[in-house]
Amino acid sequence: MATSLLGSCTPRAVTAQGRDVNTLYDIFFWIAAGVFVITAGLIAWSIIRYRAKPGDEDLPKQFRHNLKLEITWFAIPQAIVIVLFVLSALTLTDVNERVPEPAATVNVTAYQWGWRFAYEGTDVEVVGTPQQPAEILVPTGNLAFLLTSADVVHAFYVPKFLIKRDTIPGRTTRLDVAVEAPGTFDGECAEFCGLLHHRMPFTIEAVSPDQFQSWLDDMSAEI
Amino acid sequence: MATLDHALAHTAPRPTGVVGWITTVDHKRIGILYMITAVVFFIASGILALLMRAELAQPGLQIMDESTYNQAFTIHGTGMMLLFATPLVAGFANYFVPLHVGAPDVAFPRLNALTYWLYALGGLVVFSGFLTASGAASFGWTGYAPLSDSTYTPGAGVDLWIIGLILVGFSSILGAVNLMATIFGMRAPGMTMFRLPIFIWNMIVTLALIMFSFPVLTAALAALFIDRNFGGGFFDPAQGGDPILWQHLFWFFGHPEVYVVILPFFGVVTEIIPVFSRKPLFGYRGFVFATLLIGAYSFTVWAHHMFTTGSVDNPFFSAMTMLIAVPTGVKFFSWIATMWRGKLRFQTPMLFTMGFLFMFLIGGITGIFVASPPIDLAVHDTYYVVAHMHYVLFGGTVFAMFAAFYYWIPKMSGRMMGERLGKLHFWLMLLGFNVTFFPMHQLGLDGMQRRIPDYLPERGFDTLNALSTVGSAIVAMSILVFISNFLLSMKKGAPAGDDPWGGNTLEWATTSPPPHHNFRSLPPIVSERPVFDARHGVHGDG
Repeated sequence: MATSLLGSCTPRAVTAQGRDVNTLYDIFFWIAAGVFVITAGLIAWSIIRYRAKPGDEDLPKQFRHNLKLEITWFAIPQAIVIVLFVLSALTLTDVNERVPEPAATVNVTAYQWGWRFAYEGTDVEVVGTPQQPAEILVPTGNLAFLLTSADVVHAFYVPKFLIKRDTIPGRTTRLDVAVEAPGTFDGECAEFCGLLHHRMPFTIEAVSPDQFQSWLDDMSAEI
Repeated sequence: MATLDHALAHTAPRPTGVVGWITTVDHKRIGILYMITAVVFFIASGILALLMRAELAQPGLQIMDESTYNQAFTIHGTGMMLLFATPLVAGFANYFVPLHVGAPDVAFPRLNALTYWLYALGGLVVFSGFLTASGAASFGWTGYAPLSDSTYTPGAGVDLWIIGLILVGFSSILGAVNLMATIFGMRAPGMTMFRLPIFIWNMIVTLALIMFSFPVLTAALAALFIDRNFGGGFFDPAQGGDPILWQHLFWFFGHPEVYVVILPFFGVVTEIIPVFSRKPLFGYRGFVFATLLIGAYSFTVWAHHMFTTGSVDNPFFSAMTMLIAVPTGVKFFSWIATMWRGKLRFQTPMLFTMGFLFMFLIGGITGIFVASPPIDLAVHDTYYVVAHMHYVLFGGTVFAMFAAFYYWIPKMSGRMMGERLGKLHFWLMLLGFNVTFFPMHQLGLDGMQRRIPDYLPERGFDTLNALSTVGSAIVAMSILVFISNFLLSMKKGAPAGDDPWGGNTLEWATTSPPPHHNFRSLPPIVSERPVFDARHGVHGDG
């Protein structure tokens, strides 16, 4: 909690793409904090300094405009948002980039209400339900998730990846990540999808490529 | 004038009592009907919010099942946006646009009555969904296809939701045409465009946004109705339709709609700040330019609601969304410069205006975060967005609405609102609002997704959710204080007189409440604040 207050309150990502988002969020946070302090400070100063004294009925000076000032306060925010736009466009390119040679490609199908994970190039498939959420293994390293939906729009959301993507019936969307360390990450459906929307959890456990391969072999043998 | 008096003397006597209200075509009475009805929907939709907060106070399902919860947030959103905020704008516009431009009524008084009754009927039709066997619509106010089609959400409640909103849509479009005609056709002599009160400039842009955005919503709803009942297939991929098309149509309406419910309130606070600072608005023309720019930009940002679909041009919509913050910033600096070296008085209307400035500032700043696609990929559909939109819509629209009520109820009723209860209302609401919505930023960053009735205890969301629920109870208390204040003031409030605040605009040049056709005479109009000029003489640039 303390570290999250000192930082910018985003959970630290476990993927390379998520770390890019962390960095971007931190930059936004400190620029925003500066804008807030200046603007709120000016409002607060006006409230405190220019409160009318009781009984003072004289009109204050009736000034109306100052073109230089008005151009300045148009130009400075314009410059700030251009900087923020460029930074986020650069990050977006990194985040959306396809990972080279994914260590695993997972075809994900969302449905009311659960997830089906199928590993490309194998027969292995893991299916979750509200009663028994899916738990899957992935290798650390580059991963590609190819996403679609069997019914309505859902969204594939692993909070610790920091990036989510909608699953849309009739289309395939794609989420590429590079998982940097082993760990267990909870996932959810983020786009409202009907009655049991809140009961679509799943778990992704990232393990070493060797462990993953032996898990995959065991799963194949079971089929 | 002789012919006018003659004509007035020979009209049939107007009905009184309930029949008088039902048959009225007087813009002021229609305005009051709009406001009262909108506030009733505000309270109804607010009660749904309180029920949701009660459910979320701790993990597990305690007071309602999933289906009821889903109906609650759907009708909360629909009710607040389309049955409260938009008609509330129509209410203030109906009452004050003719007064501000020095007109006796709106351009088409009978059409005006029709728009109100279409709205009231449409609202009841939406809420009547709760009486059907399968309940009200339950897919969120955004109605995303294909969840909203008859396969995934069957039942009459949804069709009632669609028909009700189509009625409300027609009401909004016709009302906008009427008010636009009033502003362009019925201004008092001397009121040139750059002498219009800034409230009117904000209304002009608002009305244009309604005229261009509501037809799109209404058409999309008609398409959805056809899909549901006649196998239209507009949004069904199996029939060659496209669910993403719905999102485009909905948000092409939905984002201008956000400005429909905020621009008029920018107008309200821009009237209040000069009056309570005793100075003219700083940078009038820049402010008008900023308003026009917001209006134009607002039609180019809709797909920032769709970054996570992977189906839209994220950089373009991101750029436009960030740009729209700039004219909003210009408005903030205009407001600050208006207060600068003024002599500020902090009666209740000004207090709520200050609350608006701080709260909307927070909502505006988080708006820049979600305009950045990579950040949006993280926080989209989480409580971060819930926090952001409530800082904009509640911290913005609702705080400014109360500023407007405390400012204008004396004009509409002839009685002042109580100051002590007004201040209590303000401080309670400011506290309750922040306790409710500020923690949601952190919940969203931690990954709590929207539109869930329950969360697992191990996700660690319980403390902040409990806090948020406590805040919602404080907000509810503050609303009760307002209602008591209103009822007491209408009975025993001090007489307001024509001009209790030292106002600028023409509504303060007539009695409180104004007579049937508003004005016996008008002061000369040589600036945007004719009543100030009549009181103090004309002040040019100083």
